[in-house]
Amino acid sequence: MSDAPLLSLRNVSISFGGVRAVHGVSLELRKGELVGLIGPNGAGKSTVLNLISGSVRPTEGDILFKGKSIVGLRPDVLSRIGISRTFQNIRLFPQMTAFENVALGIHGKPLYSFAESFVRTRRAWRAEAEVRERALSLLELVDLTRYAKERAGSLPYGLQRRLELARAMATGPELLLLDEPAAGMNEDECGSLVELIRRIHEESSYGMILIEHHMNVVMELCADSLIYVLNLGEILASGSPREVQADQRVIGAYLGAKRSANERRRRRIS
Amino acid sequence: MGYLTSILILGCINIVVVLGLSVLTGYTGLFSIGHAGFMAVGGYAAAIIYIRLHVPFALALPLGGVAAGLSSYIIGYPAFRGKLRGDYFAIATLGFAEAVRLLLNTTYPVIGGAYGLMGIPQKTNLPIALAVALLAFAGAQSFVRSQHGKNCVAVYDDETAAQMMGVDLLRTKLMALFISAFYAGVAGALYAFYMAYLSPSMFGISKSSDLLAAVVFGGMQSIIGPVIIAFVTVALPELLRFLLAWRLVIYGLLFVVMMVFRPQGLLGYRELDFGPGWRRATAAVASRLGKPRPPRGPQGPVEGTP
Repeated sequence: MSDAPLLSLRNVSISFGGVRAVHGVSLELRKGELVGLIGPNGAGKSTVLNLISGSVRPTEGDILFKGKSIVGLRPDVLSRIGISRTFQNIRLFPQMTAFENVALGIHGKPLYSFAESFVRTRRAWRAEAEVRERALSLLELVDLTRYAKERAGSLPYGLQRRLELARAMATGPELLLLDEPAAGMNEDECGSLVELIRRIHEESSYGMILIEHHMNVVMELCADSLIYVLNLGEILASGSPREVQADQRVIGAYLGAKRSANERRRRRIS
Repeated sequence: MGYLTSILILGCINIVVVLGLSVLTGYTGLFSIGHAGFMAVGGYAAAIIYIRLHVPFALALPLGGVAAGLSSYIIGYPAFRGKLRGDYFAIATLGFAEAVRLLLNTTYPVIGGAYGLMGIPQKTNLPIALAVALLAFAGAQSFVRSQHGKNCVAVYDDETAAQMMGVDLLRTKLMALFISAFYAGVAGALYAFYMAYLSPSMFGISKSSDLLAAVVFGGMQSIIGPVIIAFVTVALPELLRFLLAWRLVIYGLLFVVMMVFRPQGLLGYRELDFGPGWRRATAAVASRLGKPRPPRGPQGPVEGTP
């Protein structure tokens, strides 16, 4: 592991109108590290991901990727320098086949010129062949080879999640942001997803940030790394899964703090 | 030239414009109700450089296309920079086409204003029109299956996701607009050298809406569908001349019927394909011709097994 962090957020804040969605968040991620980001609904987890992937711009603070500030860069530029993501509500290209979805991640920036899209040169054919090979190997990685020619929109939900993961990897990222990959999945599907993400994490050198509501998924995947807990736009706690689970503030944020006996009495009277 | 020939030539010209428009509207999802404006730019540019600068006809056609393509940046750059989408972009193109028409209408030196531009020799004949249409068809087919073309479809399907996958939205949209304007410009040039006369009134809004109708009728993300309709919209009024006054009424009616029963258009999201039997048949024909059948997916059939 190298010493310089792959990604660091420094005191990042963003407000939408009067709402402080994210306030003073700082976090760091090293190459090959997988960290979890959890928190109750509306805590600002997805907003943090949107800030990193460039779809919203922080009102304060700085975001560094590989040591350089990336604030204000467009998402497509960020994708090309190595930041990729999946979406909470799956955003595949429904009319395209599974294969084309993955291939698109590879050639978001086309590998040959505009003129060559009319008259293919040998270089263009070679580029097409390379894309096909890589896309098929990614489909194989997520175990979707059989569905290569199916329209993405017609795939079952769980497979769409896997496909989105393959597409995110297709851009050749160094930082992979996963926004609730297990959302809407049952126990079985969660289990195989955990396996898949773990395999990807072990085989690649991606830095990964994982947002997840399924606690067992996060706890398993981040077993030997950090979890950040976000509440009301601020980082409430961070630490190993065990530390976080034992933290009273975290439990309070999720379940609501226990009221004191005095408080309860007062409430009953009124 | 005979009556039938003239219908065929006008049909080919219409096919060329509609091919371009289907790249813009059918594949990239940007609606234009101003493509007659690009036809006008291309037609006038080609005619003028032919008459004044004595550029040969074979060169005047693509130069007309280039002129129209470049003029598309006038509308495209500010519109896409300002993230105009959907209806707003359509209205912007409408404004552009009307501006072009009015400009041509009121400029008397060189281009003849409302009198029209005369003295263009008749150069377009059936072989030329057919050749250009075929070339345009092959080019469009090749483009939509290329990486650039797939990026257009991604923009159509989900802009945010496309951008997150590294697609440069501004570039991709400008490229689609350029291609469609180029096609329209070439078609306009063919038209100019066929009619031997140009007048701003030829490029009004009804022409633009006819073109868009052909794409929508023909189907989104299809090349062959709009081509068929482009030809039919030229041929049909000729066949039904007695109904000419009712043509627009019938159009409107057909539109409503179409949107109710087949909102994706005649051949939306597909090339000619009527089920497995048809696919087998075309594959057989294609293999006999030694050409890959038009794949629905990427270049050539994807080998689905590792």
